[in-house]
Amino acid sequence: NPAFFRTIFWVLPLLLVLCPVNSSSCAMGNRTTEIRVKYENILSHDINELVNVSAEYRDKCCKNKKHENSKVFFCNDTQEIESLQSMACNMLKFFHKQKISKNFRWKAALVSCGTLQVLQCKCERNKKEK
Amino acid sequence: MLRMTQTSTVLSVFALLLHTTFGESGCSSADGDGTCGDDESDNFDVDCFSQLEFQSSYSRLTCNFTELPPHDTNHTLALCSKEDRSYVCFNMEKQEDGYFLQFTDILSNKYVCMDSEMKKRMCRSLVVTDIVKPEVPFGINITYQKEANEYLIRYSTPHSWKKYLKDRLRHQVAYRQEEGTWKTIESPFLQVKLLGKNLKNDASYEVKVRSQPNGDYFKGPWSEWSTSESFRTAREQHSTESYSSMAMVVLSILGFMFSIVMIVLMITFWDNRIKPAVWPNLPDHKKTLEQLCKKPKNNFDISFNPESFGYVHIHKVEGIRSKAELENFLQPSTAPETNLPEKLSGSDLKMISVLTDKSNPNMSVAYGGIWPAETQCRLLGTSQFAVTEGNLGSSTYEVCHRNRVPQCNDDSNLSSAHSLDPLGQPGPEPLNGDTVSQTLPTSEMRSPSNEDAYVTMSSFYKIQ
Repeated sequence: NPAFFRTIFWVLPLLLVLCPVNSSSCAMGNRTTEIRVKYENILSHDINELVNVSAEYRDKCCKNKKHENSKVFFCNDTQEIESLQSMACNMLKFFHKQKISKNFRWKAALVSCGTLQVLQCKCERNKKEK
Repeated sequence: MLRMTQTSTVLSVFALLLHTTFGESGCSSADGDGTCGDDESDNFDVDCFSQLEFQSSYSRLTCNFTELPPHDTNHTLALCSKEDRSYVCFNMEKQEDGYFLQFTDILSNKYVCMDSEMKKRMCRSLVVTDIVKPEVPFGINITYQKEANEYLIRYSTPHSWKKYLKDRLRHQVAYRQEEGTWKTIESPFLQVKLLGKNLKNDASYEVKVRSQPNGDYFKGPWSEWSTSESFRTAREQHSTESYSSMAMVVLSILGFMFSIVMIVLMITFWDNRIKPAVWPNLPDHKKTLEQLCKKPKNNFDISFNPESFGYVHIHKVEGIRSKAELENFLQPSTAPETNLPEKLSGSDLKMISVLTDKSNPNMSVAYGGIWPAETQCRLLGTSQFAVTEGNLGSSTYEVCHRNRVPQCNDDSNLSSAHSLDPLGQPGPEPLNGDTVSQTLPTSEMRSPSNEDAYVTMSSFYKIQ
């Protein structure tokens, strides 16, 4: 019955309007102060520790490697939170695949997860990556 | 058909709306039973504290029931965190002295939930950073600083090489004498000083330390007390040192005062006594000449214009008599006369009449020219010889030429003018009163004679 399909298709635009729009995977609201305080007292120490550990693997990591994935760690202006979220999520899946020492991977994961926690964001592929 | 279509449309719309509005619900737990606790904020009595970086990157949570639950029921505690719309819980390990759990995430908001057979799960909000209990300090070291009489107490904390609580703690040092009461000192640093004056000499003391988050971001209770360390204070020898230090202070003050007094004395007696003795003044030719050629005072007439000597009687000196005759001649005529002077001329005797005004010490000296021969060779002792009025005291002395001796007549009338007798022997007459000579200051000092016609520099030395 052509009216059946016509009826179903008519619903689709309605569904598109009614579906909740969830373009951002981060919590809404101005949480600048809370983010800054948590970064200064906790996350900054983890990042410094990761930087110190990564210094040992500098040559190993970048030797004979193309920097095709370096763009994933850039920070875009006026989109700091989204950029940090992207970096944290990319760091999670990037180092998950590399043969790097467990200690370094662990600290990288700690920083990534801590960043996402401070920003109250989640990755696109959330559960598995976490 | 149309009715079926309409029904299916409504159902599909309803299903879609239901799915989008409700989403996923329920929660998953670590044990995978799919159940989760209700967000029921019952305040069950449990006391928890956290220990950050207890083991490498892991933090530790310790909980205890403040009120013991009934023994016939099994209770479990779990640490849960909310992710998305579900709770992720981890059961705590039950031991004899409480429930323990190691975890890594200290940023997210957590809940401690109690499960019991009789009751449904009850959860309570928990902020890990607000219940931080630091590690126990260790390594207490006590050093006595003899010079300052202070006891330096140093200690260490494991958080010095950890990330989160480094420089975020405050420490409390407790000390007491044997079996006495504890006294405490707080410090954000890893050392404390005890003053020796506040402690008893030659006594045994006990010291212990504990730590607590300073409250800027991390909060929590005090740590456990460290192991106590004992030390013995010094004996009374430092009291003697205090006496010696007092003596040094007193001596330094006395020395300072003595130096001040010496400086004042030196300043006071420098010009009069010290400098002449240490650095005597050498004769200065310039000053001596200036003294010799001292300019007269303002009131003194030094003009050589003859007209200015109008009031001066110029006596011509025709002869010179001896001094003895002059004195004999003078004796009957020593009364002062107030006659006006008369102009005279003649004689070769030059008399220098020095008139002084008693009220005005400035002198007016007139050089007598030549006395006339017919004038009385009379020496006026106190006669006036000035134009000015008032009491004038005068004294005369003579500088006579040896060549000519004037002849004096006893019966000569004494004129009103002042006449001066020539003298045979020139000699200084005694000065009356406060006469001062300005033209020949040095001649008053000594008897003029042929041998003394020249004045030497040595005579001026005394004048200076």
